[in-house]
Amino acid sequence: MIEIKKVNNRPLNLLERIYVWEIFKGFLVTARHFFVNLFCPGKIITIQYPEITRPLEHAAKRRTRHRLKMRANGTPKCVACFLCATACPAFCIHIEAGEFTSSQVEKYPAVFDVDLSRCVMCGMCVEACPEDAIAMDTEVIPGGVLKREDMYLTRNKLLQNMPGDPSIKGAANRLA
Amino acid sequence: MERLKPFIALLDLDLLLFMAVSAVKVGFFLGAVMGFTAFLTWVERKLSSLMQDRVGPNRASIFGFTLLGLFHPIADGIKLMMKEDFVPARASKVLFTLAPVITLVPVLAAFAVIPFGNYIEILGYRVDLVIARLPLGLLYVLAVSGFAIYGTFLAGWASKSNFALLGALRGAAQMISYEVTLGLTLVGLMMVYGTADLQQIVLAQGRLLFGVIPAWGVIYQFPAFLLFLTAAMAENKRTPFDVVEGESEIIGYFMEYSSMRFAIFMFAEFIEIILVAMLAVTLFLGGWQIPYLGEAGFLFPCGRSIAIHPYAVVLAQMAAFAGKTAFMCWALMTLRWTVPRFRFDQVMKLAWQGILPLSLLNILVTGLVLLLAGKL
Repeated sequence: MIEIKKVNNRPLNLLERIYVWEIFKGFLVTARHFFVNLFCPGKIITIQYPEITRPLEHAAKRRTRHRLKMRANGTPKCVACFLCATACPAFCIHIEAGEFTSSQVEKYPAVFDVDLSRCVMCGMCVEACPEDAIAMDTEVIPGGVLKREDMYLTRNKLLQNMPGDPSIKGAANRLA
Repeated sequence: MERLKPFIALLDLDLLLFMAVSAVKVGFFLGAVMGFTAFLTWVERKLSSLMQDRVGPNRASIFGFTLLGLFHPIADGIKLMMKEDFVPARASKVLFTLAPVITLVPVLAAFAVIPFGNYIEILGYRVDLVIARLPLGLLYVLAVSGFAIYGTFLAGWASKSNFALLGALRGAAQMISYEVTLGLTLVGLMMVYGTADLQQIVLAQGRLLFGVIPAWGVIYQFPAFLLFLTAAMAENKRTPFDVVEGESEIIGYFMEYSSMRFAIFMFAEFIEIILVAMLAVTLFLGGWQIPYLGEAGFLFPCGRSIAIHPYAVVLAQMAAFAGKTAFMCWALMTLRWTVPRFRFDQVMKLAWQGILPLSLLNILVTGLVLLLAGKL
């Protein structure tokens, strides 16, 4: 909540111009904060992310770590059209297409990497996807890792809903 | 062997003993100061974060133990040692290397005359608990701390960088200005105690005023205490007097320094905090004196007395000195995180139009009072 504070710009009186007393008052303020936080550390509002997370609110839930949806036969829904990579403002999606020989669908993503350390979580890739193949609904918030590799999602990691689970959401498909 | 004989004759036992005791004192006192400096780098980060309602450093861990972030000084040290030791192409190499040393050495040298206890008698041998007891110790401190400006200026000059030079020029102007006041604020104190020997000044502060109040310098010379703290903080080049550094604008005289060379500047700044704190304690807050505690034990003005072993008294006094120093360090750091930075013209105006005339006035008033009290 932002409040408007009216500043009284009157000229300083003598005590304020001497400055020593005002410094002492300021000193007391900071010292009070110091001792209060020293003896009751529970009052500090810092959240020790990644160990402690808050439940996400409203629309923030809609844009979390990516996943790729699968068809019922277990192939990725993605047709490697590159629209998400084109729409991505952070250039964090890297796709290399592979070719189906027998299916009506021509292409599939042989490589589909999302660099989460670059991703700005804007959701443009989800908006751009014509196949509804990419989603950002895992409710996993990326970040707080100790190695760069942990921020780099490859195709196999993306094909899981949550770490360890095969994709089940959105499995129905026109081509199944 | 024949030629060495005169030298061996010179090295009599007394001299050897004196050298050994001095070496032990230097090792003990400077070791304590250095350790406390490393601790202080952690204190500064933790203290500033606590007073800004933050948590502060708490992640560096050894085997999963963080100990409130106490390992961060070690992590900082390792990081600084691993960094590239960079020297600008056009810098003058000799001065560039020399500048951190010239910054650090005078600060360390100033500790030689600060008394951290009275004296102890070991097997009849009297050991003064001050590294070097100089009759003009106070002037020595002022002279040595005046050297610090060379380090600042040479660092800025030798880097051949405009920002570093700008910082160095500001530093030179500021430090010379406040050097004058720093000396003058202490004149009143020398007049009151009639000596410039720091141990004598501390001993004089063990007396009682009107039989009740301890005769600490802060009671005789309260305005001088405030002026001294102001000037000393300016000498120290920390906020509110950090136009020399100006982290948000010019980085300052050590802009081109990296790795351990930069660490030495940083370290010298923190040691200087301890030096200022110790000087303020020694001169104004009674040094190692504990009120009513004499050499044989407590002697209260109401007539009661508690006898304490002399060694315990010395230990208690050393602990009191350490405690007072720690308190002053805390106060200086809290001030540093309280007050916003002065503009450069304000710094100069405060020096020449503010505290310099006030310190002169302090000398005048002190002299008048001493004259009227008939002590001159």
